Amino acid sequence: MSSRVLLHVGTPKTGTSYLQDVLYRNQRVLAHAGIRYPAERFDGHFLAALDLMKLPWGGLEAEAIGAWDRLAEQVRHHRGTSIISHEILATASRSQVGRALASLGHDDGTEIHVVLSVRDLVRQIPAEWQENVKHRRAVAYRAFLDQIRDPERESRIATWFWGVQEIPDILDRWGHDLPPERIHLVTVPPAGGAPELLWKRFSQVFGLDGLDLDLAPLRANPSLGVPETALIRRINRAANRDLAPADYRPLVRELLAHQTLSRRRGSPRLALPPDDYAWVREMEQAWVDEIAARGYDVVGELAELIGTPPSGFADPDRPEEKLVAEAAVDAITALLLDNARLRHTEDRLGAELVETQRALERSYLRPTYRFRAKVVRRLQGSRVGKGMLMAYRFARGRSSRSA
Amino acid sequence: MTTETEAGERRAWGWIEALRAGATTPWREFTGTADRGGRFLPGAQQLELLRRVNAVRRPGPALVERVLNASAPGRGRPDLQLVGAAEESRFGPPPVDPADLPDAELVRVAAGLIAEDLVAAGPPPPPPPRWTRLWRRTYRLVGDPWMADPIRAELRRRGRPPGGMRPTILVLGADLGTMLADAWTARSFAEGGSGWRDWLGGAIAHDRVPPRADLVTQARRWAERVGRDRVEIVIGAEHLRRVLKVRRALPAPPVYAADGVDLARQVSSPLGLLLVPNQRAVLLAETLGPWLSDAPGGPLGIPAAHVEWVQARAARMRDELLGAGYAVHGDPEALVPDAPGEGSMPDDAGVLSLAVRLMLEHGERRTEEVSG
Repeated sequence: MSSRVLLHVGTPKTGTSYLQDVLYRNQRVLAHAGIRYPAERFDGHFLAALDLMKLPWGGLEAEAIGAWDRLAEQVRHHRGTSIISHEILATASRSQVGRALASLGHDDGTEIHVVLSVRDLVRQIPAEWQENVKHRRAVAYRAFLDQIRDPERESRIATWFWGVQEIPDILDRWGHDLPPERIHLVTVPPAGGAPELLWKRFSQVFGLDGLDLDLAPLRANPSLGVPETALIRRINRAANRDLAPADYRPLVRELLAHQTLSRRRGSPRLALPPDDYAWVREMEQAWVDEIAARGYDVVGELAELIGTPPSGFADPDRPEEKLVAEAAVDAITALLLDNARLRHTEDRLGAELVETQRALERSYLRPTYRFRAKVVRRLQGSRVGKGMLMAYRFARGRSSRSA
Repeated sequence: MTTETEAGERRAWGWIEALRAGATTPWREFTGTADRGGRFLPGAQQLELLRRVNAVRRPGPALVERVLNASAPGRGRPDLQLVGAAEESRFGPPPVDPADLPDAELVRVAAGLIAEDLVAAGPPPPPPPRWTRLWRRTYRLVGDPWMADPIRAELRRRGRPPGGMRPTILVLGADLGTMLADAWTARSFAEGGSGWRDWLGGAIAHDRVPPRADLVTQARRWAERVGRDRVEIVIGAEHLRRVLKVRRALPAPPVYAADGVDLARQVSSPLGLLLVPNQRAVLLAETLGPWLSDAPGGPLGIPAAHVEWVQARAARMRDELLGAGYAVHGDPEALVPDAPGEGSMPDDAGVLSLAVRLMLEHGERRTEEVSG
């Protein structure tokens, strides 16, 4: 049984992809230090989180069946420290948290710590809208803001947003059965700070200081500018009906958003509308006061949860059409290049198939082949013949028998 | 914690204790108290669902605990706190009086539990394999899936599986109103998806017949693959016997109450979190289907407001099929529904009532198996 489990439960858009990538790529180094990150890919705990929370995710849920129990079993079998990390765990209900903690050995003496990395709402709100757009939604930015500002929070967008972003409520759900010193908040430094500062904080809270880890930034969840996000939203509106989720992920989210449009520079960045700042500022202050009063272990500065007022605002619901058109040209170019690559692959595979068919025909046409096939068919028709075939194959040294 | 909050929490634990004992008193009328009886207070949805179950019949202890420990699967409102039971917090969703919760919220929790019951019950044993007849008409049966699936299964049982050398493609259909209801029913018993009104409204808004009911597209795609002369349109399942040259009658599709189909749709989603898609479809059709066979209420029908659109699209479908030159068995005019149907619409209260009944009938059975 793990003596210690570090359970990183969110929040999204706080450097979680980078952290998970470093943990995944350095599994061997971590293992030598007695730390286990039981994952077969960098975001290996995503499926376990889907399974724990019974969340459908565009068909991926079928791959998630039983994933949490498998993960928990691996953790229980490890004798040192185990790390579990996925940002969507933030939205787990109290009963799901109860099941998670029990499956990790909470009732049997395992020391469980909950880690929550957090960022100010001024940056989180536009980032969450962009994530919605990159997950096929076509909701306008203003409509998104109106839904999350609705105090009833009944819409799907609002329940999800607050489920993964409302820090005091997340910690109520995840921490209600743990002492406050086992709850750790990692604050994301303000924009423009030293890039390695966030990693230093993660390293401190996960006990990774002093380990020789490969920290090369191979993976991140890159953000888009205003015209690029507006373009993806328009694509969603036009193509959602006909494009299956399994095709959307590699083509729109990966090829267009992550590999093409996120590389464009100079576009206006998404920001919080100035009119919403006062509402956000008040909420951030309330969160900071509450967290300070609860006595959690804070790695970083709580004041970093107060976002700086937006210096400018480009409305993604009314983007500058020239910029959207430029982004669209880049998107079309990327699709053309990818299509050309696929055509070349198709041509190569087609040529290989033709060559294989010809080779097959040549072998079938040889008289000796036809004679041998006839003999084998005859022999397979009787018990004696089958025995002779078996003896022949044994003598020849064949390792497999025909069915 | 204030004295008032402590009193509220004690009252909540008292309500839970009473619900465990079979009480049906609503939260706002409940006055008893009890000591803390667990790590956390269950959500308002779970507690209200248990109260509704108690109102029908007192459940066994294991089913009670399953309800109290359930979380509503999928996306939607999180587990909500009871108003007056927890400390007034500035954070998290606002607490609610459980009696004010919409029935749909309770169905979400119930659907997750019914999905577990289906997995526990498992599918019925498959029929024994039959010899395939050597001399038979080769066919493939497509079109309205709700009509075609049971016929195909029965033909397979009789040794007449689809496929074979140069099969004739039989595109089976009925009047478009029936085919639309069948398409949504087939969808509900497969992958779930949106509700009847939203689904039909979406099709009308885009002026598009959904693929499962679209005989024109299905026929055209098969014609492109095998040639137009091997595609035949069959309007009305009663013509299939003659076309396929079978003596005995072929089965009609099961007819479920609109509430039953909607419950299947809602169970389909959490069931997809427990099983791979093929297994899910088998359990929904072969295990849940019989559970729903005596569900009260009328079958699904087209709302009167949409009949005009359905008739216009059906007339266009008839013209396109005839214009394409396929052989047609049955009367093409039968594609166009005559008058507004008399069918029902799914209703959240009816779906919840049915869900509670299934939980008591089949959740209890599972309870005994688990405890035994």
